[in-house]
Amino acid sequence: MLAIQIFILIALLLAFALTWRRARQGAVRRLEALAWSVVWITGAIVVARPEVASWFANTVGIGRGSDLAVYLAIILLLILAFNLYVQHHRLQREITELVRKEALKDLDRV
Amino acid sequence: MKVIAVMPAFREETRISGAILGMKPLVDAIVVVDDGSGDATPLRAKEAGAIVLRHSLNRGQGAALRTGTDAALKLGADIVLHVDADGQHDPEYVPALLEPVKQGKADVVFGSRFLGNESESIPFARRLVLAAAKRFNAFALGIPHRVTDPQSGLRAMTASAARKIDFRQDRMAHCSEILRIVTRSDLRWIEVPARVHYTAETLAKGQGGVSSPVAAFRIVWELLVGAFS
Repeated sequence: MLAIQIFILIALLLAFALTWRRARQGAVRRLEALAWSVVWITGAIVVARPEVASWFANTVGIGRGSDLAVYLAIILLLILAFNLYVQHHRLQREITELVRKEALKDLDRV
Repeated sequence: MKVIAVMPAFREETRISGAILGMKPLVDAIVVVDDGSGDATPLRAKEAGAIVLRHSLNRGQGAALRTGTDAALKLGADIVLHVDADGQHDPEYVPALLEPVKQGKADVVFGSRFLGNESESIPFARRLVLAAAKRFNAFALGIPHRVTDPQSGLRAMTASAARKIDFRQDRMAHCSEILRIVTRSDLRWIEVPARVHYTAETLAKGQGGVSSPVAAFRIVWELLVGAFS
């Protein structure tokens, strides 16, 4: 096993542990923790046994395992970016609510 | 019946007095929501006799409209009238807009630029965009084809309809959002003819930017993100 593989595996293990620690603390929802766990475990499998990715890539019709990883990463990033948009939107709404509440206070003085 | 007009205003210091004075004889009160203009808009509105509320930050036309609607309901309005603050909505058409609501024939009445009374000087490019917006509204947003003017800002509604229409889009997607809510609810709605005066000035201001083709996609994007948040 290469040194880089060991480093990444340790990092993934830490990420996994941290995810569940945060889930226990209630900072992350259980479903979210589960989704992240899938990501960490998949990552660990691919790092430890790269041929698994190639095998899977071939079965879905993609030439190389690394190509599959890139495709998945892009999809994941898109999902994350969209989530950020949604959260940004929510924040915007909260600001609007605040501004509205403040504006409506003037009504009592009319 | 107490009719209260709501005017969301952003940097309309030169036009708002005219808009208020034109609308004043037709309604019981006018609520102007100054959307963080930072100019003399609230002052001019107050001088012209409107009730003025101020957004300390610019939150968009939809947000200001919602604040104004909430205020109108608090002030005991029986009918809430949405109208632009730049004076482009011809007051002459307002009584016909209010009539079906007053008579209990409709809960919501939309003013349409495309029912007989063709507006003067709608530029060709804008006509094209509006036609595209209509198709787009039908396919992407599920707003029925029967709606002749999907981007009209002139509408009247009963207080109970105003309470029911829980629109949350702060920026320009609110027009589509309101239509979507109304046409999918059991509210009775109709369109009546209205006329809009476009001037070089109001066109330059872009009127919420609905004139650019990018805007249509932005509206869909805002609605999509809005659906998830």
